Amino acid sequence: MTAAPDLAVRLGPLALPNPILTASGCFGYGLEFAELADLERLGGIVTKGLSLVPLAGNPPPRVGETRGGMLNSIGLQNIGVERFLADVLPGLGRFPARVIVNLFGYEFDDYARLAERVDPHAGIAAVELNVSCPNVKKGGIEFGHDPELLERLVASVRRATGKPIAVKLSPNSGAPVALAEAAKAGGADILSAINTVLGMAIDPWTRRPRLATNRGGLSGPAIKPIAVRIVFDVARKVGLPVIGVGGVETVDDVVEFLLAGASAVQVGTALFRDPRAAERLVDALAARLVEIGVARAADLVGAVRPWGEATT
Amino acid sequence: MMARDAVARVLDVVPHPLPYFTLVLEAPAIYAEVAAGQFVMLETTGGLEPYLRRAFSVADVSNEADGVRIELLAKIVGRGTRAMSRLAPGERRALLGPLGRGFTLPAAGPVALVAGGVGSAPLLLLARRLAERGVAFDFFYGGRGAVDLARRDDFARLAEQAGGRLVAATEDGALGFHGRVTEALAAELDAGCAYRSTYSCGPMPMLAALARLSAARSLAGEAALETEMGCGFGACLGCAVPHIEGRFALCCKEGPVFRLDEVRW
Repeated sequence: MTAAPDLAVRLGPLALPNPILTASGCFGYGLEFAELADLERLGGIVTKGLSLVPLAGNPPPRVGETRGGMLNSIGLQNIGVERFLADVLPGLGRFPARVIVNLFGYEFDDYARLAERVDPHAGIAAVELNVSCPNVKKGGIEFGHDPELLERLVASVRRATGKPIAVKLSPNSGAPVALAEAAKAGGADILSAINTVLGMAIDPWTRRPRLATNRGGLSGPAIKPIAVRIVFDVARKVGLPVIGVGGVETVDDVVEFLLAGASAVQVGTALFRDPRAAERLVDALAARLVEIGVARAADLVGAVRPWGEATT
Repeated sequence: MMARDAVARVLDVVPHPLPYFTLVLEAPAIYAEVAAGQFVMLETTGGLEPYLRRAFSVADVSNEADGVRIELLAKIVGRGTRAMSRLAPGERRALLGPLGRGFTLPAAGPVALVAGGVGSAPLLLLARRLAERGVAFDFFYGGRGAVDLARRDDFARLAEQAGGRLVAATEDGALGFHGRVTEALAAELDAGCAYRSTYSCGPMPMLAALARLSAARSLAGEAALETEMGCGFGACLGCAVPHIEGRFALCCKEGPVFRLDEVRW
């Protein structure tokens, strides 16, 4: 008889019971799913991006489907960090899933102020910095596309909190490795790769872009190969643990990201079509490990056999 | 009532004729309590296009000996609805619901139900509930042509059962009032018809026109809104409705039914 496989993974200072998390912006604040999914079985939850003050978000239409994907331009509508801490976080305490708060700022100092604010809360396992949202005119993405600025930004957050810091990388910069190096130099513990890919879709009949902002962030299976490539590059060159994000839906996708070098994955858009998509992957991964005779999920991390290099 | 994600069995697909059709599903028992205006998220293909589920109002519900049946009245507008129209009895599709906030049932009539095209879907269940309670209503049903007034005989029967009637309006003049359904309603109001309130669903320009007309005549009303929708349960924040308070309300949670005077049209 085969022993149950060990799903636990460690991302630097952050230990997770399994490598399946939910992606920011795709799981609300967690409690939206409490009726529909089994939060207890997830490795962790990453919240909707939180800002210092509540944000109203962008005008509709905010979402538009594409083949194997979805464009969005939500504009970081959120209840603000204070209401999250007061009204939502206590409710999440009922669940053992690790809570990672995604933080977003318009100004440089916003990130450190947000980190300071969440730092005293034991219910928060880590912070993830959104420096790559393509849907707001100001802030965020400016910090995520300039390595020097990103290093200083992460350093300011490092001084504000002792919690593990993940930095969510943009696929739209063209230089994800340089940005990942900068995040590491600033004191980041973890890299999340990737945020949505800047895209556009136009209705052929009305001639209108499908999003009120014209452009928006593409997510879903359509972007997975881009995410796998960036995870592969960043994991090998930067030396920080990586969380793979982008089009994760099946157990093959999970294994693919682990092989590319991710220590965990975040499930995003798939949750919109199946609220239980993430927890199903926990079981599916355990079954797959048994099937391929691998004792620990961690053993798959970075175990890709790339061409053009020694493969034995 | 908590929403449930289940796998529903297709019982029938009825053309009215196409592009309009009714999908009949065997649904979980909780749907016996569904409110008119509530909706479901239905898996249409399970493939990559469309990738997401589609939102449909529950058009009707019935308790049969072998379980609860729901009807979804839809129009083929794209790949998802086309696939849905081709489902065969016995096929199974993921079904999440019932979702959202439905219409407030009036204690007394007469009221006006106002539908534009396939926006009639949630108003079928509302018409049934009103008829069961003996609340009188007239059913205003508009579309470009007669084909857009799908299942109008069902609406007429329910309206007559409750002591009202069907008022058809077509833009091509082929059936009933020649013009828009909101113009037909205005004509009836001008002719002395008095309604306590309106209940509506249809394209946004129609609902906006109804909101203007209602504000001018101090007529209260509720409308079920249709927006682009990602998840249906408040997670994606995609279904923003501009609210009179200067914020965006989520169509899937605060709605899909809103008071006409709380939406910034």
